[in-house]
Amino acid sequence: MNRVPPRPNRPVYLDNQATTRCDPRVLAVMLPWFSEQYGNPHSVEHVMGTAAETAAEEARAHVAALIGAEPREVVFTSGATESNNIAIKGAARHALRSGSDRRRIITVATEHKCVMESVADLKADGFEPMFLPVRPDGLLDPETLRDALAVPTLLVSIMTVNNETGVVQDIPALAAIAKAAGALFHTDAAQGVGKVPIDVTAWKVDLLSLSSHKIYGPKGVGALFVRRRPRVRLVPLFSGGGQERGLRSGTLPAPLVIGLGEACRLAQAEMADEAKRIADLRTRLLDRLHTELPEVRVNATMTARIPGNLNLTFPTVTAAELMARTPDLCVSTGSACSSAEVEPSYVLTALGLPPDEAARTLRIGIGRFTSAADVDFAAAALAAAHAGRPMHAVTQA
Amino acid sequence: MPKMTFIERDGTRREVDAPLGLSVLEIAHQNDVDIEGACEGSLACSTCHVVVDAAWFRKLAEPTEDEEDMLDLAFGLTETSRLGCQIVITEALDGLVVKLPAGSRNMLNE
Repeated sequence: MNRVPPRPNRPVYLDNQATTRCDPRVLAVMLPWFSEQYGNPHSVEHVMGTAAETAAEEARAHVAALIGAEPREVVFTSGATESNNIAIKGAARHALRSGSDRRRIITVATEHKCVMESVADLKADGFEPMFLPVRPDGLLDPETLRDALAVPTLLVSIMTVNNETGVVQDIPALAAIAKAAGALFHTDAAQGVGKVPIDVTAWKVDLLSLSSHKIYGPKGVGALFVRRRPRVRLVPLFSGGGQERGLRSGTLPAPLVIGLGEACRLAQAEMADEAKRIADLRTRLLDRLHTELPEVRVNATMTARIPGNLNLTFPTVTAAELMARTPDLCVSTGSACSSAEVEPSYVLTALGLPPDEAARTLRIGIGRFTSAADVDFAAAALAAAHAGRPMHAVTQA
Repeated sequence: MPKMTFIERDGTRREVDAPLGLSVLEIAHQNDVDIEGACEGSLACSTCHVVVDAAWFRKLAEPTEDEEDMLDLAFGLTETSRLGCQIVITEALDGLVVKLPAGSRNMLNE
């Protein structure tokens, strides 16, 4: 027991909530659109343009199918951060222009930074941001939302899946509460799309953000679902040529958009099988880790959680120290955007973790390209690192 | 005959005859109310945009997707905005009140 594992040939990547490897099948579909097929999808007067347009519209249909939307309800963006900004600020600015007197905007303390900051920024425009707490298991209590909606509310934004804990909120129930109070409902589904089944029609959400690079697609592209019936109206952030129904001006990056479409098509075809396989790998990892380190604790609910995520607090050694001792293992201390900060993760703080526990917490993200050997290495390496054994004793001996 | 009221941009209220089966756009033109209607009611522009009195707005039939698409392009859209060409007078709309919006999207006139 507690043997130091031999070094792998290449780093073992278990940070799939930060980003994912672009699936080679996605890359293959994209490549011609970087080389021979370079037409502008908006140049509809010639064959190069219409070929790109046709391919981009096929991609739009794949994205729409994965989330239960109509293709024309899908607006391509540069990623979930932009989608979230357009949704939140766009809805607020439309309300100002159209004479709505609703000023409250509700979100949750465990949201991604770009949602929190977009909501907070609207205070300067006269809105009333409100950040709801979550329970220790990471879930939002529906009663907390109901109480907050006592004041007429313009918009509620609640993420589908948390980026640090993998917790899946009950979006259909929360959206129903928000809609009953006359508010718009937005969900940042960057970590949920392709991992859990999503149906914007059944869920009755008005706006949904998604990202390509979290689902084995290229970086730099994403989408925003904007409901057409009843019509949801937004004021765009960009001025320009009026592409994407006027909501997002700028030439579509055809190769990226086509890659996102293929990533969505693959996710829809393989989601169910993949979820089972990844869940088995997570069980294997946790069992092995618990055999060697029974005190390792999983934060947040294990029932409403995507299969690939673990958020683990270790008994005595800090996450930074564990990572320093396991240079061949790619895991993280929190979200990628905040992992360079010294501050404890605000997501873990919202779950009630004191700073010293947060400092001993690692996020592990298992994905499509993770093997059983990878998780075996991770469990052995983390256990050895926690026991303080130098990682490369075997090769050094 | 049913009546309806236009509130002009300077706040003047004008009550006019509203024959059954005519659209608000057609009634405006009959009475020289300043609504453009550049596409003559073919749902290809938003220049007959009117702001419907909130109490009356709820009584109108739901807008079609095509009307919503054109409203997306309307200038100064409000929560009770409609296209005048799509509101057809019925007995139930006797007394309808609509306001002319602050401006319309015709760049040549601006």
